[in-house]
Amino acid sequence: MTSTLLSLRDLHIGIKRRHHRVDEIVRGVSLDVDAGEKVGIVGESGSGKTLTMLAILRLLASPPLSVLEGEVLLDGEDLASIGDRRLREVRGGEIAMVYQDPMSSLNPLLHVGSQIEETLRAHGVSSEAARVRTREVLLQVGLDDPERVRLSFPHQLSGGMIQRVMIAMALSTSPRVLIADEPTTALDVTIQRQILELVTSLQATTHMAVLWVTHDLGVVASLVDRVVVMYAGRIVETATTPRLFERPSHPYTKALLESLPTQSTQHRSPLHQIGGTPPDPTQLSTGCPFRFRCPYVIAKCSEEEPPLIDRGSSTAAACWRDPTEW
Amino acid sequence: MVDVALSAQQLVKFYGGRRGRQVVHALNDVSVVLERGKTLGVVGESGSGKSTLARLLVGLEAPTSGSLEIDGESIHMSERGDHRALARKIQLVFQDPFSSLDPRLTVERALREVLHVHKLHAEHESERISQLLAMVGLTKRFATRFPHELSGGQAQRVAIARALAVEPEVIVLDEPTSALDVSVRAEIINLLIRIQDELKLSYIFVSHDLSMVRHISDDIAVMYLGRVVEAGRYDQVFETPLHPYTIALAAAIPVPDPEHERSRTSAPVSAILQVEHVTQGCPYAPRCPLVEPYCREVAPTLQEKADGHFVSCHVALRASR
Repeated sequence: MTSTLLSLRDLHIGIKRRHHRVDEIVRGVSLDVDAGEKVGIVGESGSGKTLTMLAILRLLASPPLSVLEGEVLLDGEDLASIGDRRLREVRGGEIAMVYQDPMSSLNPLLHVGSQIEETLRAHGVSSEAARVRTREVLLQVGLDDPERVRLSFPHQLSGGMIQRVMIAMALSTSPRVLIADEPTTALDVTIQRQILELVTSLQATTHMAVLWVTHDLGVVASLVDRVVVMYAGRIVETATTPRLFERPSHPYTKALLESLPTQSTQHRSPLHQIGGTPPDPTQLSTGCPFRFRCPYVIAKCSEEEPPLIDRGSSTAAACWRDPTEW
Repeated sequence: MVDVALSAQQLVKFYGGRRGRQVVHALNDVSVVLERGKTLGVVGESGSGKSTLARLLVGLEAPTSGSLEIDGESIHMSERGDHRALARKIQLVFQDPFSSLDPRLTVERALREVLHVHKLHAEHESERISQLLAMVGLTKRFATRFPHELSGGQAQRVAIARALAVEPEVIVLDEPTSALDVSVRAEIINLLIRIQDELKLSYIFVSHDLSMVRHISDDIAVMYLGRVVEAGRYDQVFETPLHPYTIALAAAIPVPDPEHERSRTSAPVSAILQVEHVTQGCPYAPRCPLVEPYCREVAPTLQEKADGHFVSCHVALRASR
């Protein structure tokens, strides 16, 4: 059995408002990630997926954002209580992150090579070794002319190349966890396919754990072992990838899957709509936040918000109703 | 006889070239025909020229050469001058509704402005505005809202209502669902199909979301480096793609089905880290798995391979059916 590498325990994130009011926008997220496991985090904008990822590395913009409760453990070490020095080792060292918009994540005035080397030197690598390692990781991510790429400015590279550079930078320190926040959303499908295959093959050789944030269920199907679906600041379903697609256990997951046109969808026939709008996480009332858009709503849904209920074969869903009774 | 809503012939757009700078061929001899009441899907990667095509069609930019006819009328496409006549016939809906709506105008004022500019329904503007809102599925109470008070889906509905205000023949939709949350995409697609059927509108649907393009489009044009490399009915292009680029593109779509994904063989897409500047022969040759020496010498032209199915590829054209 593999052991838990990264563990989020009952994480709550709040945003400060005027008059000492604090709105809770991530409401009790718990997640265990094993070494070498690939987990997909799916949710709409405002579901709290990015904030949760940022909180892992203590990158929340504080104020107004802050962790209200809960802990993040890396191999049992509480990341909230470590000192600045250790935090710098963890950030980019043991846990690396790739962001959605690669162009704005790099300094436009510096060669990309020197930016990778800077990361390495910050983690105690000598400048000579950093240069060698930079070349190595650029090759590893499929950039065949590392010397030229190293001496390029970000604007001289295409979006796909830049995202490869970002992945190379993240991998340069051999992290144990890679957090990728919609890294392919801004890219073409062909480039996206290449990045997905690249990450799959790199993960197979390095055995790092991967947390892949996305809103694209297609991406999830091709990459991850397990999917976590977030809605209104909470995890509403967690399941293995095949199970999630075959038998979703939360009505929201089911609706998301049904809204996508597939090969068998009749041309120009109305697509399944979820209806309603995603909830404002700061304006929640008691009860299940999905109940206004849910076709299976019952009286209990407006009285009490459901916890994650075990639905067998490592699946759990925050829904009062057993999916077999839908 | 085919009822043609829009026909663009041999559009060419070059950028640069001044003071010895490199010339970029954004569009290289592109012709498209849009039948009335139908949807033409335009697909391709970034840099393929699909957005340039959209901008030329609505008159945001003037082509280097080529001609455009909408509703049987020849459109004089110039950089300057009054575009109101053109705007009455063709409208554009952008990807991000929030950056295309004026943040300081309420929904009502945004729509009223369009009617004013085009001197439409001067006597009963307010009725027309309610009617437009109803058409896109918004109630009257949205009229007084500002863009920041709308969700992404609602804002895109307003952008669509604004396009409908002038009763255009053609609407160019440039990635209309890409900036929206997954759960509202289906809603906007359903809305677009419904109003198209009601108003007999013709659409040009530019997107890289191939599953949505396939769902809504009657005809498809696949673009690569400023050219149309394959065109045909949606089922022809997606089910029996001919051009190696279309095949690669179709294969790269992530499918929300783990079974399918597990059986996926490694991508047939060759590494395209940098688009090479091809001066001779087929522009796809550097990436093409089927490339032959002849391809590097002579550029193929778009030719009919099967009934209404066009392709620009030597290898595909030669292959027997």
